Amino acid sequence: MGRIGEPRYAFDRLLTAPDSSATAEMGHLKKQVVTVVLHMQDARYKALRPDEANRGYKLTFESPKNDKLALFQHGERAFDHILLLPPKSKGLGPALTPKLLLQFINQNGNILLTLSADSPTPTSISSLLLELDIHLPPDRDSLVVDHFNYDAASASEKHDVLLLPQGSRIRSDVKNYFGGDGTIAFPRAVAQELGNSSPLLAPILRAKSTAYSYNPKDEAEVVEDPFAVGEQISLVSSMQARNSARFTVFGSAEALENKWFDSKVKSVDGKDSKTANREFAKQITAWTFMELGVLKVGRVEHHLSSITGDAAGNDSVAQLGYLNPTIYRVKNDVTFNIEVSEYTYDHLSPLKVDASDALQLEFTMLSPYHRLDLIPISQTPNSTIFSSTFKLPDQHGIFSFRVNHKRPFLTNVDIKREVTVRHFAHDEWPRSWEISAGWVWIAGVWITVAGWVAFVGIWLWSEPAYEQSKGKKMQ
Amino acid sequence: MRLPNQLLSSLLVLCAASLGVAATWGFEDATVSVNKRGAGVGGGFKEKIGQNKALSKPVTLGASETLKILLTTKEDNKAKRPHQAFLLVQDPQSKLDTSFAFQVKENGKGKIELTQKDLPTQLLSSTGPLDASLIIASFGSSKPYNGKAFDLTIELDSGSPLPASEKPLRYGKLPEIHHIFKSDPKSPPKIITLVFAAAVIAALPILLGAWISLGANLNHFSKAFSSSPIPHALFFSSILAMEGVFFMYYTSWNLFQTLPPALGIGLVTFLSGSRALREVQGRRIAGLR
Repeated sequence: MGRIGEPRYAFDRLLTAPDSSATAEMGHLKKQVVTVVLHMQDARYKALRPDEANRGYKLTFESPKNDKLALFQHGERAFDHILLLPPKSKGLGPALTPKLLLQFINQNGNILLTLSADSPTPTSISSLLLELDIHLPPDRDSLVVDHFNYDAASASEKHDVLLLPQGSRIRSDVKNYFGGDGTIAFPRAVAQELGNSSPLLAPILRAKSTAYSYNPKDEAEVVEDPFAVGEQISLVSSMQARNSARFTVFGSAEALENKWFDSKVKSVDGKDSKTANREFAKQITAWTFMELGVLKVGRVEHHLSSITGDAAGNDSVAQLGYLNPTIYRVKNDVTFNIEVSEYTYDHLSPLKVDASDALQLEFTMLSPYHRLDLIPISQTPNSTIFSSTFKLPDQHGIFSFRVNHKRPFLTNVDIKREVTVRHFAHDEWPRSWEISAGWVWIAGVWITVAGWVAFVGIWLWSEPAYEQSKGKKMQ
Repeated sequence: MRLPNQLLSSLLVLCAASLGVAATWGFEDATVSVNKRGAGVGGGFKEKIGQNKALSKPVTLGASETLKILLTTKEDNKAKRPHQAFLLVQDPQSKLDTSFAFQVKENGKGKIELTQKDLPTQLLSSTGPLDASLIIASFGSSKPYNGKAFDLTIELDSGSPLPASEKPLRYGKLPEIHHIFKSDPKSPPKIITLVFAAAVIAALPILLGAWISLGANLNHFSKAFSSSPIPHALFFSSILAMEGVFFMYYTSWNLFQTLPPALGIGLVTFLSGSRALREVQGRRIAGLR
């Protein structure tokens, strides 16, 4: 693909945007120099190798034909991220087999895979996607057309350059990292269909309901059995693995080319607009390469609610040594605080949770006894402190405070703090007079006491009531 | 009704053509029919669909029925085969949609047959009627057609319910849990407790009253105290003190705080008691009681 010597892709400019100073403090980004493999056949793209990148990326361009290309060195990842562009050759070679790519994901590497209808997708890629429950059209030349939303300027005849608004929320409670007001030009895209069973998959950009996928070779005249139609066509799909490694399938490699960045397009009803491909590409690469939607947990604290008293903040609790005790009693009132930040491009910002969503705390022993919404109580410049106060359950045992926050497009958080919950000591139960039902018995006891004392007095000092003579005992 | 409409649309097309606007896709002779399997032709529901004019009443598709649409697609007024001739079925509430392609011949004659089996369960289980639209479009500059045709009501067979589709796992907020292992014990209303407590307390004055009516008195008090004052005072107050010890044990003392004073008081009771009771015996022997 591509003519030799033509700098078609703008990654170097995109990934090296000159306005950020990439202070990567996140664990994921510790390797500040991030490497991208541009998996391309074209040797001339090596000329694109940029300077040390401002956005923190160091790009390496490799061809699958390069024998020395290896994703792993001494069993460790040699690169942080991979960007795969469609190859000209049929296969991807021995260095990029599905097994190695999966191993790369399993070792926390991120992959941005681009597809193109112009060059057939290698079977190894299709089978890799099939393993992830992402389905590509069976015939390799298929592309997506939409006769209602196409670029009238460049594809007035073929209608294969889709014009789409920037991504919308997939669910009302999921944050949209790919939004914006712009229009994305999506030329010659490959449709993907996502399996319904996996929670790890999420579509980023979907086609409009009038779009469909067809094979220009076999179905040139009429389409009677399309592979995918309407909004079930995912043009950009994401898979976030259980280890939070990200894998993005980008349906149109051409959309990332220089010529579609900031180019002019014309909609069907004749409106001219500029493409937002540059911004969208930035969002996609930033999300895939862990610059967006990465959560970091700061302080995790718990203590008895009663001992904070009037003290401001938790410093007093810490000073008194009451912070994070290892043991509580059943029915104690306990406060749990957690500090969470979200990494946004180059800094940590406070995590904002949508009103319809919530960060949730579970208090569990085998299964959760309590699951409570954590409420944001304060903010620092780069974190939000969430808190919840609750009464421990009336059951002793080894419990744990657990925050298991899994959401689409956010890295997984699974925090566990184990505590012992003991039962009441003998002198911690409520006293009998606090139980109103016991008042009758308590009154009975003390009335008996009073009666006994009165009886003793009368027995000691009473004069017989009967006549002395009559009552005299007969011996 | 239909004639003026057709006139109007053809006028519009004419206008469009005269203004130099591209040709438009459309259709004619469109009929929608619903037939029961095995039933003869013309048995079931049949209605004509006009261009840009949705049917006013919904089309009902039963469990063993087949929905059939016949139409002739046209580019401007010429019958022609488009690349895309779809029936788009959409759930207006969930916005889920799917499309079904017409089988279109070269001369533009298109046909589609639809049964409940063809529809995905997500649409079958929708509560309201579905929107059915016709999409006719092709390459080139001709204006595509996308218009609502009718409301599709799904009538499920009550005998064979939908295959239970389990809701797939999605990460999101989970319902709150407030599990109570054992709920707190409850007390009866306080008023009942107070009534019975009052009854218990009232037993003391009744007892004392009964004793007094039977002639109980303290007439020997001065006699007892004049003959042996210290044993009587000590004996009675030690009994009181013992009750006091019990009270302290009940409210705050533990067993080790309780036992020493109880032993001391017990000794006093024993010693003073023997003296006091000897005095009482003396009164009995003297015939005073």
